[in-house]
Amino acid sequence: MAITRLGPNQDITAAKIAGQINFKNIIINGDMSIAQRGTSVSGITSTSYNTLDRYRTGVSGFGTWTQSQDTDVPTGQGFANSLKMDCTTASGPDAAGSVLYLVQYIEAQNLQQLKFGTSNAESTTISFWVKTNVTGTYTVEIVSSDSGRHICGTYTVNASNTWEKKTITFEGDTTGTINNDNGRGFEIFFWLGAGSEFTSGTLATSWATSSAGNRVSSSQANIATSTDNNFWITGVQLEADTSASDFEFLPYDVNFERCRRYYYVVNPNNTYYATIQDFYCYNSSNCYGSLKFPTPMRTGPSVSMTNNGSFYYYPQTSFAINTSMLYSWQSDGEISYVRFYDGNAFSFGSASGLFEGGTFKCDAEL
Amino acid sequence: MISKENITNILKVIDPSRGWISYRVTTSNNEIVIVPENTDNTDYQEILEWVENGGVIVDNGA
Repeated sequence: MAITRLGPNQDITAAKIAGQINFKNIIINGDMSIAQRGTSVSGITSTSYNTLDRYRTGVSGFGTWTQSQDTDVPTGQGFANSLKMDCTTASGPDAAGSVLYLVQYIEAQNLQQLKFGTSNAESTTISFWVKTNVTGTYTVEIVSSDSGRHICGTYTVNASNTWEKKTITFEGDTTGTINNDNGRGFEIFFWLGAGSEFTSGTLATSWATSSAGNRVSSSQANIATSTDNNFWITGVQLEADTSASDFEFLPYDVNFERCRRYYYVVNPNNTYYATIQDFYCYNSSNCYGSLKFPTPMRTGPSVSMTNNGSFYYYPQTSFAINTSMLYSWQSDGEISYVRFYDGNAFSFGSASGLFEGGTFKCDAEL
Repeated sequence: MISKENITNILKVIDPSRGWISYRVTTSNNEIVIVPENTDNTDYQEILEWVENGGVIVDNGA
């Protein structure tokens, strides 16, 4: 390949950098490729993170769901996965405050380029592919968390069980600012059903102080009406522009690391890896160690343990460290200090050795 | 991420060697989650809301 050296007064033309990755997509895991928590979860009736990283499912009084990382994707677009919502018990809205949505929270310091709260506030455009048998009107809402303001747009699913690309452009907000910190900046809701509390007013199609009744279109579809209903989405992209550009595919490892800032599973398959570093027993009741994260997490995460581990120490001796012994924890988001406690179980005093096995789930979601 | 609706009980734990405070949360599905005392942590924010709604943290002073 020939290399052309630019002269001192020559600019790099747009054509030469077209298609290069520039992290224009504000959404993380837009191609639905990362699913650290699992690829399928059934029986969803409440709000929680389930399968695909960064997408929280909001359910209250709106049926029962199976969510999965699916391989049904729009043909010829380069996607391998989609997020699927499958209704397994039809119900709702059971109350005025019932909700059914997918939401992604965006870290505020990743939104500073939008210049919100200034006269130069940038417009944003969200684009995505969607497929469902429930045709009709759907709402996308952006809440700007620091200012308590929101804006909404609608899209129409025209054909049943057919992949369609949707695009909505939102004006910039010249009023509400976004803090330059690691808290919630945007909350991007894909509404799939809503009680009357959220549909009773006039949809906020311009930035305004958030008002419950103005969050969702009064024509909003409800995908919880039948166990025959399914909803797929992929290729989600939010960018600072007045129109949508092609989806920006990131290398898998880059996408994975971006997700791990918010959720990190140590030893997910519970194989015999040394999972905790510098493990030692301080006395007969307390053992300590440290976990280092592969990428700085958003803040000091919470931790839970789902598989027992083992502590190996000289000479050729070991004992189990059970999940119930996980007792206290401190972390700055880059490294952690974990303590196990069990009365008088650790009889050999201050021996140091190797901690193997154990699955640790570290959660710093927004 | 825990939810205040799914919290069964909470034990406050003070690390004996460092004095750090964390909370040992038991959820309705018997999962144990250790939450550091950190206002940026959304699980800790859920704990604060759980307390505001009348939840009582067990504090044995250790």
